[in-house]
Amino acid sequence: MIALAVVAIIAALEAVRVVAERNTMRKLPYLNVVSFAITGSLMLLLPHPLTILACAAYFVGSTLESNAIASTWSGGIRKHE
Amino acid sequence: MNELYAILFGFITLLGGVTTAIYRDPFDKLISLSLLAAGIFPFIVDRGYVDVAAAAALIAPLGTIFTLMVCRRRARDA
Amino acid sequence: MLEFYVMLAEGLRVLIAAGVCWLNFVTIDVFFGLPKEGGVSGATAIAQEVEKGGGALHGGYMLGNIVSSPDASAGTLLASCAVYAAGIPGGLVMALLVYIGNRICYDPGYAGTTGCITATFIVYAFTQIGFLATDFIAGMVIAILTIQGLSHVHASRLLATLWRWRSA
Repeated sequence: MIALAVVAIIAALEAVRVVAERNTMRKLPYLNVVSFAITGSLMLLLPHPLTILACAAYFVGSTLESNAIASTWSGGIRKHE
Repeated sequence: MNELYAILFGFITLLGGVTTAIYRDPFDKLISLSLLAAGIFPFIVDRGYVDVAAAAALIAPLGTIFTLMVCRRRARDA
Repeated sequence: MLEFYVMLAEGLRVLIAAGVCWLNFVTIDVFFGLPKEGGVSGATAIAQEVEKGGGALHGGYMLGNIVSSPDASAGTLLASCAVYAAGIPGGLVMALLVYIGNRICYDPGYAGTTGCITATFIVYAFTQIGFLATDFIAGMVIAILTIQGLSHVHASRLLATLWRWRSA
């Protein structure tokens, strides 16, 4: 199983890059790669039809979270100026 | 789960938790918190609790969104 | 020695799958005009920060749109996951779930649903000629790593070039 190893190593590498990046908005694409990798690893760990639901729920949830963080950040800064 | 994968996903969780405590900016804290949540799901699914994982995956962003409402109000007041 | 050849073949399949996934999602995203403008205010904010760091604005819009709503890249990943677990019916169910997720994130949802349906059939066709669906899951993670994870400056310039060809 080389696939799970590739996915897990990419997830850990990008988690380090999320922490190392200083700019708040430029952290979000790296976080998106982490959530892609975690979604893939969920399915590789447990191949079962119900895992489809868990994958979709996790991915949509993390996307919604990034969307809310970015939108609130831009709105807050604009009001601040 | 193999030890390699347990170490890698545990490393993500630990990194998210430590940086959530360290960062000052609330948005950086929330991003690290979602990193913490991301590291937990492989452990939940590996035990077979797929329904728990789906419910937790929907609850965690809702908590973030309610926290963001407070951040927005602080930014407007300041 | 035989194990080494098996691992080499698997790595080669993962790289080929990464190329196929990259072509699929970049073609569909650029065709549906994701680099044109930010769909939500968060995507615009990410694009401006990427441009401030030295990247191109239209590529930054596409990076922001990928972050803030499930587009064709998410559709490709989730479709290969679904085909691995449940075959073509799973892929079509997943297209419905991606559409619902797009509607939650205030997006029309054409790019995500189209990418999910095309990726379902592409992955199924490749499983008929000896590839595994797991190769496509790992390949899609590598493909998104090259766009979002390595260098925002170079990725946004590349995507802006592609957008200039599309809009010309």
